[in-house]
Amino acid sequence: MSATAKREPRQTGREFMSWKIWSLKKSVWVFHVNTGACNNCDIEIVNLLTPKFDIERFGMKLVGSPRHADALLVTGGVTAQAAPRLREVYRQTPKPCVVFAIGACGCGTGIFRSGYHIVGPVDKIIREIDPNAIIAYVPGCPPKPEAMISGVVKALSVL
Amino acid sequence: MNQQELNNRLSEIKDKLIDDIEQKADNRIFLLCEAENSYAVNKFLFEDVPLRFLIATGIDSDDCFEVLYHYSYDQTGCMVTLKAFIRDREKPTIDSIAPFLPAAEWIERETHDILGIDFNNHPDMRRLILSDDWPEGVYPLRKDAQIPAQRPDGEPSSRPTVQSQSPARRTVELSKPVVVVGPFHPLQEEMEFFQLTVDGEIVTDIDMRISYNHRGIEKISESLQFDQVPFLVSRICGICSASHPLAYVNAVEELAGVTAPDRAQYIRVIINEFERIHSHLLWVGLAGHFIGYDTVFMWAWKYREPVLDLLEEITGNRNNYGNVKVGGCREDIPNELKPKILKELDKLEKKTEMLTKAVLDDPVLHARLKGVGILSKEDAVKYAVTGPTARGSGVDIDVRRDNPYAVYADLDWKVIVQPEGDVFAKAVVRLLEVLESVKMTREAIKKIPDGPITVEVKEIPPGEACGCAEAPRGETFHYVRSDGGNRPIRHKVRAPSYVNVPSFRASCIGQPIPDVTITLAAVDPCYSCTERLAVVDGHSKVLHDYEALLKLSREKTARIKKEIGGPEFKLEDF
Repeated sequence: MSATAKREPRQTGREFMSWKIWSLKKSVWVFHVNTGACNNCDIEIVNLLTPKFDIERFGMKLVGSPRHADALLVTGGVTAQAAPRLREVYRQTPKPCVVFAIGACGCGTGIFRSGYHIVGPVDKIIREIDPNAIIAYVPGCPPKPEAMISGVVKALSVL
Repeated sequence: MNQQELNNRLSEIKDKLIDDIEQKADNRIFLLCEAENSYAVNKFLFEDVPLRFLIATGIDSDDCFEVLYHYSYDQTGCMVTLKAFIRDREKPTIDSIAPFLPAAEWIERETHDILGIDFNNHPDMRRLILSDDWPEGVYPLRKDAQIPAQRPDGEPSSRPTVQSQSPARRTVELSKPVVVVGPFHPLQEEMEFFQLTVDGEIVTDIDMRISYNHRGIEKISESLQFDQVPFLVSRICGICSASHPLAYVNAVEELAGVTAPDRAQYIRVIINEFERIHSHLLWVGLAGHFIGYDTVFMWAWKYREPVLDLLEEITGNRNNYGNVKVGGCREDIPNELKPKILKELDKLEKKTEMLTKAVLDDPVLHARLKGVGILSKEDAVKYAVTGPTARGSGVDIDVRRDNPYAVYADLDWKVIVQPEGDVFAKAVVRLLEVLESVKMTREAIKKIPDGPITVEVKEIPPGEACGCAEAPRGETFHYVRSDGGNRPIRHKVRAPSYVNVPSFRASCIGQPIPDVTITLAAVDPCYSCTERLAVVDGHSKVLHDYEALLKLSREKTARIKKEIGGPEFKLEDF
C-alpha cells in the first residue's frame, strides 16, 4: 500500500475513494446495530461467531465501536426512539462503509409496517443523511447465518 | 388454601367493595368494581389473600375506560382478574397501586403513556415506552387516536433523560458520579440505556430508559385476524417464538371453547421444550462471554446448533417457527424423524451433562458468580419475578406445573428450585432445566399418539380470556378480548422480562461495577419482549436504603471537612 502511495502521491478524489473501497473489502470489521428487532436476527449474527459458522476465518469480526467498523449490520424496522441513534452511529462510522439491512424488518419494516412507533426502514433513515450510502439487503425472517455470509460476500464482490 | 377457600375469601368483599363476581371458566374468575374501590380491592388481593400480581391491562371501551388487574393463585392455577371501570372519559383517573406493589410501577406508567389514564399517588410518572419526541396528549391505544403521520425527528433529540422528576432524586443525581451504559454497548445485543449511580466502585442506584425496541405490537394485533396474530406474537421475541404464540392460542382456544387434538398438544410441548433447551444454552454461553470465559460461550453455542437444525427440520425455520395455530398445529412431526430426534437428544444430554459438570466444578466460576447479584426471596415476591429468576431465588413457581397446558401434566419431570438467589443459582437452575427438558422431550417423543393435528375452529365468540405459557425466561401472559368479529379488540401481552428487569433495582444495588453486567445478564433480559409495549422503574423501597447510604456519605464528608478546618456548611447545602 505504501508503495502505491509513493508512486502517486497526489491522487484525485475518485482514485483515492476506489483505493479505500479496495481496502474496505479485506477483513471487514462489523458493528451490530439493533434498531428494534425481535432479537432473532441479532442472535443469528452472534451465531456467526460461533464454531459452526465462524466468520472470523474470513477476517471478519464484531467490534465494539462504530468508529472501528467497516460495515454496519442493522437489524429491526427502526423505532422512533432508535432512529436518531441510528443516524448518529452512521455518522460515526468512517466512510466509505457498507450498511447491511438484515432481515425482513431491516429491509422493509416487515410485519411491523403498520406500527405507530416504527419510522423505518433502515435505508430511508440512512439516506436522509447520506443519499449516496452503500446499502445491501439480506432478507429473511430471520435470514439463516449462511444467507448473511452469502449476502456479505455478494455485496463486497460488486463494490 | 384450596379453590373453595379462595372463593370464600373473595365473597367476603362482595357487595362491600366489588359489585359482581363472574366465573368464566373453571379457574378464571373476574371481579367487577368501580375505579374508586380498586385500590382497596387490589390491596386485599395482593396482601391479604395473597395472590401473585401478573400485570394490568388498560382498555378503551365504548363508554368508559377499564383497567384490568390480573392475579394468579399458584396453588390451584386459578387466575383472578379485577376489572375496574373508569366512567369519566374526559379525565380518566384511578388510584395507583404502585406504593404497595412495586411490580405495578412500570405497567401504570405504560398505561398512562398509551391510554392517558392518570394514576394518583404514583411515585414516578415519567414517560416510559414512547419515544422522546412523541407528542404530548397523543395516546396510541385509544380507539380514536390520531397517530401523527410524520413526526418531527430530523436531528437526534436530546439524550434520553432517565433522571427523576422528583426533586429529592435530582439532588442525588447531581451529587454523585454516574456511569452510563448504552444505548449501544458491545455486550448488549439490544438497545437499552442504563444509568448507574456509583459511590466509588459500588453501584448505589440504577435507572433505565427503554423505548428503543417498542414496536407497538398490541396495536398492530388489533388490526390482524385471530389466525394471523400468532405470526405477529412469535416475532415479539425471536427466542420465545414458540411460547408467545402458545400463550395466545391457549387464550383464544379457551375463548372459543375448543381443544386441540392430543397429537398437536404433544408437538407443542416438544417444540416448546426444544426452545427452552436452545435458549438456556444460549444464556449459559452469553453468561460465560460476559465474565470473559469465551470457551463456555463457544461450547454452549456449538451444542445448541443441533437443536436449531431439528427445529428447522420439523417446522421449516431455525427460529420463528409459526407452527402453533388456533385449534392445533401447522406442521406434523413425521414418525420417520423420531429416531433421529432421540439420537440427537442422547448426544445433547451427554454434552450438557459434561458442560454442567465443567461449570459447577470450576473454582473460577464459583469465585466469580457465588454471592453475586443476590435477589432475595422477599424481593422476588415483591417484584413478582417469574421463571428461572424466581426459581433461582427459592420461589417455587412454574406455570407448566401450576396451571398445566398442553400435556405437561402427563409427563414426568420436576421443577428445579435453588434457594440462594445469586447468579450461580440461576445458572444451576438453567443448566438442570436443560436436562429436565431433554428428559421431557424424550418421553413426549415416545408417547406421542397418532391422529389429526388440527381441529376446525368455526368462529371466536364475544368474550375475554387469559392464557399463559412458561417461556424460557418465565411466565408469558396473554389476555384477549373479542367482540365476535374476526379480530381481537384488545390483546395484552406480558412477557417475563417485563417483571424480571425491574428486579435489577433489588439485585444490582450494592454491587461493584464489574459485577453489574453479569447481574443484569442473570435474569436473561429480553428487551424486545419487554418493550412490545412499554417499560421501567421500581424504586420505592430500595430507595430508602439508598437515601440512607447517601445521608451517611454526606455526614462523613461534613465531618471530615470539619476536622480539617474547612468552612462550615449545612447538609442542606449539598
